[in-house]
Amino acid sequence: MTESSVIAQADLMCTNCAGQCEYSPRTGALTCKSCATEHVITINPNADPEAEHHYDPDLPHTEQPKFTQDRPYQCETCGGEVIFQGHSISENCPYCNGSLVERPNGESYVTLGMIPFSVGNEQAQDAAHNWVSRRWAAPSDLQSVVSGSNVSGIYVPFWTFDSKEAVNYTVNYKVTRGKKTVMRTDSGFMKTEFDDLLMPASPHVTPLIRDGILHEFEPSNLRPFEPAYLAGFAAERHHQPVREGLRQNAKDKALLLRNRIKKHSGKNSVVDVSYLTDTTGIKYRRILLPVWILHYEYNGTPMKVVTCGLQGRTFGERPFSSVKLLALAALASCAVAAFGFVWGAYNIY
Amino acid sequence: MLNQLGPIIAVLLLICLAASVGAYPIKKLIRIQEAKHELRHGSPGFFRTMSGWIVIAVWVAVTWFFATIIGEWWAIEDLSAAIHRSGRRLELLLRILEALADD
Ligand SMILES: [Zn+2]
Ligand SMILES: [Zn+2]
Repeated sequence: MTESSVIAQADLMCTNCAGQCEYSPRTGALTCKSCATEHVITINPNADPEAEHHYDPDLPHTEQPKFTQDRPYQCETCGGEVIFQGHSISENCPYCNGSLVERPNGESYVTLGMIPFSVGNEQAQDAAHNWVSRRWAAPSDLQSVVSGSNVSGIYVPFWTFDSKEAVNYTVNYKVTRGKKTVMRTDSGFMKTEFDDLLMPASPHVTPLIRDGILHEFEPSNLRPFEPAYLAGFAAERHHQPVREGLRQNAKDKALLLRNRIKKHSGKNSVVDVSYLTDTTGIKYRRILLPVWILHYEYNGTPMKVVTCGLQGRTFGERPFSSVKLLALAALASCAVAAFGFVWGAYNIY
Repeated sequence: MLNQLGPIIAVLLLICLAASVGAYPIKKLIRIQEAKHELRHGSPGFFRTMSGWIVIAVWVAVTWFFATIIGEWWAIEDLSAAIHRSGRRLELLLRILEALADD
């Protein structure tokens, strides 16, 4: 982030009443907390928030973290590091509710693009509680446990990765010859591309939660990084070097590649895939995306429910009731056993 | 009448046994339902959650298979004959499971 990542206290002051302003997801403007006057946020018209950076693993990479003036706070429980704009300093970690301690200014990477919140606090709160209430086989007291928890809004660092892959692969597959099943091997070559693979750059949002809430991410919705959008919210900055982001992303990419190889091979019963890929044209973006996180503890296990600040999609972690699981299992066992019993009794096959 | 008691006790035992190991497959089933409705289709998280669903099919198939033997035992009152005749059913079942697993 450049010097502009810190917004002067004066810039968040209402010109009408000298009150404090916060970014409002509902209006998309800075809104005064005292007199409700709206102040339009102007963004740099020359900035290109969709710009991607090239990365070549064989060349020295020049991107360096920069020293920033925004005061970071670190969570004593989960180690998460967050910043706050304006007066909105929370005493608790938005990721885990642990207590925060102020840290000396640190280094972080420049963030070019972000999407500001468009889902507000109340809407997110409803979405998170609604999600919890719709879980099957959840403990009966889950809703009352969660009802005491509130969502908190945070901008989470994400990567987008592009790459071109030239893949040499081998698949082992099964074919049926008469009554016997035999293994066969086939090799092939495939060219494929990945475009804007989203990867959390923070350990607090897992890939699973990403796949539950960020269905609608579109790079064309990115806006230039503007600290006014952060007013009233927490944000985590980018701390991961590119190679670390790529390492995290490799697991997802491998999974998707295997699926594409299976399709490309045209074989039905693929048992095993091995491949070597030549990756070129790596491009990345460092962006911030808005999420609402509700954390709660069930039987001593910390869990979270995450609502996307873009559309309100919600996904999270939930406990199961072992009694309800057992009851469902008993019910299903009765049904299956009865079906089998009748089948056998009438000697159907 | 006493002959009929064996299969009834056996099927009750089978239900108890199937239920006692059934919590895991039921949990998996719920996770898969959630994935189908809530995770972005084709995403890594979606694939990861869907993988391993065969556990559910195996649980159902095994329970069903033993129930068919007990059902036949009840009908013909001859356990060893019922077991003997279940062989071709087992073969068919294994083929179905294999085809499902490949999918
Ligand atoms: Zn004002
Ligand atoms: Zn924390």
